[in-house]
Amino acid sequence: MSFGFSSKISAAFSVVAFTVVIVTEALAEKADYVQSGNDALQQGRDLWLENCEGCHGYGIADAPVPMQSSDWKYRVIKEKEVLYRHAIEGFIGEDYSMMPARGGNDELNDEQVKAAVDYMLFLANFYIKRQGN
Amino acid sequence: MKNMKHKLKRNLMIGTAVTTIAAATVVSAQVSDATVSVKAMADALHLVMDSDRSVYTKKIVNRLVKKEKVIKASEHFEDEKALVLPAQMFRFGSELAAKRAEKLDDVNFSYTLQSLWPINKQNAPKTEAEKAGLKYVAENKGKNYYTTEKLGGVNYFTAVYADTGVAPVCVSCHNEHPDTPKKDFKIGDVMGGVVIRIPVED
Repeated sequence: MSFGFSSKISAAFSVVAFTVVIVTEALAEKADYVQSGNDALQQGRDLWLENCEGCHGYGIADAPVPMQSSDWKYRVIKEKEVLYRHAIEGFIGEDYSMMPARGGNDELNDEQVKAAVDYMLFLANFYIKRQGN
Repeated sequence: MKNMKHKLKRNLMIGTAVTTIAAATVVSAQVSDATVSVKAMADALHLVMDSDRSVYTKKIVNRLVKKEKVIKASEHFEDEKALVLPAQMFRFGSELAAKRAEKLDDVNFSYTLQSLWPINKQNAPKTEAEKAGLKYVAENKGKNYYTTEKLGGVNYFTAVYADTGVAPVCVSCHNEHPDTPKKDFKIGDVMGGVVIRIPVED
């Protein structure tokens, strides 16, 4: 058994001819997470990498990606307290996407969550400026 | 005059029908000659699966469980009169597709949700390609894995896509389950992968 168009598939498939093909589709590389000379932001970066990057680095579950200005240009103009509150308490978006409270790590205190948010805003603003919109 | 009009109308209808049949024949021939890369096909299948699961997660589970708080979602959904978990819905779809495909001569593909750290051992990888793919997507966040394998004399294109824990319940259930081989998952970790296998001709 095969798909009705498997012969067509096989023609296209012969190009890859039984070799392992690994296609890079990653959105983010570590170098994309720019560093800051500010100690507080660097601490926020460490927290963000440990607790937020797993989803926000790749847009998993609709998490807004700070390296994509279109995801953040409408968020960076919000009051910072709103962003802090959403990150600390969790948030259900208009389309029912979900941001878990404290990124799912109950051991983070409020100040640590705020530091991670500050770094994400720094990162988002960096890419908004770089991408020119 | 009325008779002539009637004949004209009838001839127009016949002409339209003939044209439609001819066009359909041409389209049919075009379809049979159409090609699609097996990678594009696997990616498209995964896109549909992932989108459906995402919609279920957001519009059903998140809405009713998290926002409106009118029902819960549980692994033991029958006993607890609860919603099935998104991963369970995905698995049930996979099982139904496999059952339906058995009855279709020209459809033979499979998709499964597997893990290197399965709670249910049946969901562990079995082939070398599955093992390598699951390891690769776990270690290379954001990347997919594509390879080929020959099983039972049939050549297959096999694609593996990361499956990431995105909700506290995914992580806590796996970490706390008595049968889990891994207890330190956190949100955003790759917990397994979707394996899509498509037969291809030599």
